[in-house]
Amino acid sequence: MKIARDLAEPLIARGSGTGLCGGAAPLRAGIVLSFARMNQLLELDIENRRARVAPGLVNLQLSERIASTGYFYAPDPASQRASTIGGNIGTNAGGPHCLAYGTTVNHVLALEIVDDRGECFTTAVEDLGYDLTALLVGSEGTLGIVTSAWVRLLRIPSTTGVWLAAFPSIESASEAVSAIVGAGIVPTALEMMDATIVRAVESAYAAGYPADAAAVLLVESSGEPEEVASADAAIARIARAHGATKWQAATSADQREALWRGRKGAAGAVGRIAPNYYTQDVCVPRTRLPEMLAAVDDAARKHGIVVGNVFHAGDGNLHPLLLYDKRDARQVAAVIEIGNLVLARAVELGGTISGEHGVGIEKRNGMSMVYRTEDLAAMACVRDVFDPQALLNPEKIFPSGISCREMRT
Amino acid sequence: MNDTAISDALAEASAGRRPVTLRGGGVFSGMHRRVIDADEIDLRSRRAILEYEPRDLTIGVECGLTGAHMEQTLREHRQFLPLDAPDASQASVGGILAAAWSGPRRHRYGRPRDLLIGSSFALADGTLARAGGMVVKNVAGYDLSRLFVGSMGTLAVLLRANFKTLPLPDSARMFLAALPAGTRERAFAQIRNLRPEPAAAWWSTGFEREVDGEPGDDGRIAILLECENALLERATLDWRAALGRAGIPETRLLDAGAHASFTRLLDAPMRLPGVHALSYRSPSLPSHALALADSLAEVVDRFEMQRDLLVDIMNGDVTLRAVGDAASFTQMAGMLDDALHDRAPRARILAGGGEGHDRLDCFGLLPNALAQMRALKARFDPHGILNPGIAFFDGRHS
Repeated sequence: MKIARDLAEPLIARGSGTGLCGGAAPLRAGIVLSFARMNQLLELDIENRRARVAPGLVNLQLSERIASTGYFYAPDPASQRASTIGGNIGTNAGGPHCLAYGTTVNHVLALEIVDDRGECFTTAVEDLGYDLTALLVGSEGTLGIVTSAWVRLLRIPSTTGVWLAAFPSIESASEAVSAIVGAGIVPTALEMMDATIVRAVESAYAAGYPADAAAVLLVESSGEPEEVASADAAIARIARAHGATKWQAATSADQREALWRGRKGAAGAVGRIAPNYYTQDVCVPRTRLPEMLAAVDDAARKHGIVVGNVFHAGDGNLHPLLLYDKRDARQVAAVIEIGNLVLARAVELGGTISGEHGVGIEKRNGMSMVYRTEDLAAMACVRDVFDPQALLNPEKIFPSGISCREMRT
Repeated sequence: MNDTAISDALAEASAGRRPVTLRGGGVFSGMHRRVIDADEIDLRSRRAILEYEPRDLTIGVECGLTGAHMEQTLREHRQFLPLDAPDASQASVGGILAAAWSGPRRHRYGRPRDLLIGSSFALADGTLARAGGMVVKNVAGYDLSRLFVGSMGTLAVLLRANFKTLPLPDSARMFLAALPAGTRERAFAQIRNLRPEPAAAWWSTGFEREVDGEPGDDGRIAILLECENALLERATLDWRAALGRAGIPETRLLDAGAHASFTRLLDAPMRLPGVHALSYRSPSLPSHALALADSLAEVVDRFEMQRDLLVDIMNGDVTLRAVGDAASFTQMAGMLDDALHDRAPRARILAGGGEGHDRLDCFGLLPNALAQMRALKARFDPHGILNPGIAFFDGRHS
């Protein structure tokens, strides 16, 4: 950082580069600081349910390395086999299980940060004063560089149930999701896949999904056996009431693993049906899911683009995958147009332009759809305090033209 | 006052360099210094529920709404928000967030900040702005809503807060037990490993009027079980068996009275039996909490004051109440404060101290990121009009 400052060059922190919004991509000359080899599990304190990790530690490796202790690290983005905890902190990553466990910010207890002058400081959730830990999580490397983090560990639940429900339409599946959450049932995960994705996944992984379903819900519930049994009964009842044609329990660890392998590999599986895909990431209030899905479908239809939906239905967090061929300029233009329509519709429905992928380069202009100039200026003032020379991952998050000066002070 | 009136008042105060202080329920006022010679902005009438769609499990409220009102509204829809505030009929949502209050159920459900998904606020110059929204996942831009948590009203005036809510568990059962001599450490170990996990668990000594249950030679415990009906009886058997292994032969159960008993425990740290008393809370790792509690008890005994202790078994917080006599308290309070901070540098005052309150070390050890906090304060409130001198953000206290 000190070298970057002396040279007045930007510095971009990078984990595994799995981000989907260009957050770790340099836009112009500068230094890319890779954390690939700063990947240690630095301290493990099971008694107090926490671990200190270097930022380059791969997400899944933490849970794998501590599995014998009976604890795990909850945030599980789909990229967890490759993405680093530092990168997850940068984007406040979520994942299927954040429905019950929350996103990365809910699992970071303390941070060690290098600031724009190359000096270290620390923050902790227990600290007095402003919650800088929460501010830094999700700031995409624009306020400081995380050099280590204490994260919270959870006890592995005693029982886990995974079920698959097949529906005759995506509307009936999304209405079932609203009904499940509306009934006060919060499973550990509640994931939806439409027919396009189901077929791609079955073809790639033979995960056991019914290939004739118009939509599939993957449901996971964890806890004590009685809790899991009652979730099974209640969710099955709601699913059937909304037209589910199948309710199937995974009866072994292998079956659970297979169902999840299909879900987590869904984005990769679409490579079998289109040369390219573009993933959007928006979040809407859960009751607006059916309208949002209809809007995605409508936009894709109008532009002649095939869309596959695989998403965190329980959170209202959609990931339409727009399938296209990048060699066809018309398709490229259509995909960009659909992406923008999806963002705009999500905001109209009371949602946001990014549920878990971040803003990066891709969505910085979309920030003005969600926030007014005054809102963005307040954020810009924070940026200005931490990095007045804009050396840390510049040209990310903020739309051009927004500065702290917009504030009256 | 509506948003516009607050904005206008701040703009005027900012232009005239006149300090303002924010008035909420006053429950957390002992946790910071007093603001003197400032115009008051009274936020207590701002109690509206602005947006609540139970099927979305989200709620947006004005920040003057009390914790009790929030609880009642959510309970009607079998939902809850574990704010765990003391004196919930007075404590406002804004006060809870400004004080960064977090209760004993945080290990299970998260802190209030963990459930905060959006806010609107007025900056010192009167600018109205917002952050986050009404969705449960949102990574569009900086999390300014949470930045204001713990700000003690020094960075902006919080007008609205949005939360995600949680389904209300079917059942709540309080387990009370006196600890026979020599069982305390074993009881801690058993309680930390209970399945299902307790929603909250305390060990206490003293607090005779505030905490239910009979005292034992090693103090007493109160453990809150929150779960589905189907699990209640099996969990009760398992918990009693675990406590039995720790050497605790009897456990009293409260069902109808569980909520009231839990509320009394939440209120206990702020309840002082007169003006010659002080209460502190120190964060600690759960594995160190008992040793810290013993160490603080030893200090208070040296000063020959009456003491009450409450240890949050799942999170590690140690709460201490020291009660002195009228003749010597004022003289002793400063020395006690110094001695306690020697043992628990991060202990902060919750309530009490009487007239000498502002001469005591309210906050304990200041955060490592003090420079960053002061820089934020200087940028967001350049004329220092918001709650001046209340804390350490404006550099008036070292």
